[in-house]
Amino acid sequence: MAPPALTTVRARTLFTPLDTGGRADTVTRRLAKAIRLGLLLDGERLPAESQLAGQLGVSTVTLREALATLRTMGLVETRRGRGGGSFVRAPDDADRLERPLRLLSLHELRDIGDHRAAIAGTAARLAAERALPADVTMLREHAERLRGAAALTDRRRADARLHIEIAATAQSPRLTGEEMDLWSEIGDLVWLPMEGADVAPAARDHDLLIDAIEAHAPERAREIAERHVAAETDRLLDLRLSLHHG
Amino acid sequence: MTRPPMSPPPTAQPPTANAPAATGGEHLLADITALIERVLASVTEVAEEMTALAAGARAGRRPLRRADLATLRPLVAQVLARHRGFAAGAGVVLAPDALADAPRCIDWWWAGQGIGQLEVDLDPTSAEFYDYTSTEWYREPARTGLPCIAGPYVDYICTHKYTFTVSVPVVDDGRFVGVAGADILAGEVERMLLPGLSMLGRANRPMVLVSGNGRVIASGTASILPGTVLRPSGPVAADGPVTAAGPLPWMLLSGPALVSAAGR
Repeated sequence: MAPPALTTVRARTLFTPLDTGGRADTVTRRLAKAIRLGLLLDGERLPAESQLAGQLGVSTVTLREALATLRTMGLVETRRGRGGGSFVRAPDDADRLERPLRLLSLHELRDIGDHRAAIAGTAARLAAERALPADVTMLREHAERLRGAAALTDRRRADARLHIEIAATAQSPRLTGEEMDLWSEIGDLVWLPMEGADVAPAARDHDLLIDAIEAHAPERAREIAERHVAAETDRLLDLRLSLHHG
Repeated sequence: MTRPPMSPPPTAQPPTANAPAATGGEHLLADITALIERVLASVTEVAEEMTALAAGARAGRRPLRRADLATLRPLVAQVLARHRGFAAGAGVVLAPDALADAPRCIDWWWAGQGIGQLEVDLDPTSAEFYDYTSTEWYREPARTGLPCIAGPYVDYICTHKYTFTVSVPVVDDGRFVGVAGADILAGEVERMLLPGLSMLGRANRPMVLVSGNGRVIASGTASILPGTVLRPSGPVAADGPVTAAGPLPWMLLSGPALVSAAGR
């Protein structure tokens, strides 16, 4: 029997769901990554929408959605009229980190915190009910990785991974998907107020949380997870407020 | 072709049991076991072809390269076509440094509308690095040298669903080169089992299929849900018949204790 043709599909990153219509997200991430990596230069004009959509293998509707997100992220600027089009805005480092935070209102930050607490709290509670010894071992490895992470990116990655794994330990693809979406949305922000700060307090929270999961103490696990998210949200709110004073 | 049996999970703790096989249980599991065995046979074919690739490179005194894996793809595509609707993905995953030109490599294909290649970030310095060497389906065959059925687990990399992964070690000249594997959707496994579980179970003796480590795979009662764990020390223990699922490290449990647990 002749095998069906194999087609190499567009790039998928770890945080892109397969079949949940994440195309615009994928395009956003690819372009954002290209800008951050300097593959697309500051001031560079992007190809016309129809052409770029064709190159990326998506519809112009999807591309427009992605460009709108990139505009909110401050990575793309669209000028109208003659000589107009979409232009790359490569941010400097401090700007790159703080700009997304500047764009969020306190109300939005609080809301993100509420959402995270709901997901992380429930994931922790169910993980405590459903964890096997092997799951606990794996969670401890991820917690250890965070403890050993020095750079901001490494911390963000280890932290995201740990929380996604807790949701996976809850045996819920939906909660896991929610954690993944949340972390890809606000992952860069969570560790922002912690730049240069000690990783130990967060690591202690994680240890307590994994202890509760191992002890099959669902309510304790939920409480620790919620408290942990609330503390992170508070730090972000403080930093957001301080941007006005600086 | 001969195959060693599946390795039991490292933490196998069968819930307590004291009675002979459940009536009809063997029959209930026969279909699903046969189907998974066929997937395992397919995966073994892929593993054998991968072994041949590694052996060929070794005999020719040339390094094994990423491009060499292209010759596996027609077979992987055939495997996915053969098990369409049941196996959601398949491919090979290489041990670190097994290839000369890639420190890590995952050559995995998923079946959807057509077939697509899974792309994951394998750069350890990247924020989205995927360390497959820590997964059960990689670690177990590497450790035991035996095929493994990992899960059910939340696969947030490829299927984004509740999934099993069947994997077979690839060993060339005594060296572990990687694994060949296939993803099986837990929902499909349950769909095949559910009619039998609800028919054979009785109100006072529900029937539940668990993995070797006690994770519920499928259940004939709404009070014990898939994904939960039957803990020997906890409130749930089967005091009734237990059927081992042939070569799979799974067990079919039934008994009144499952009911009393349900009432907690």
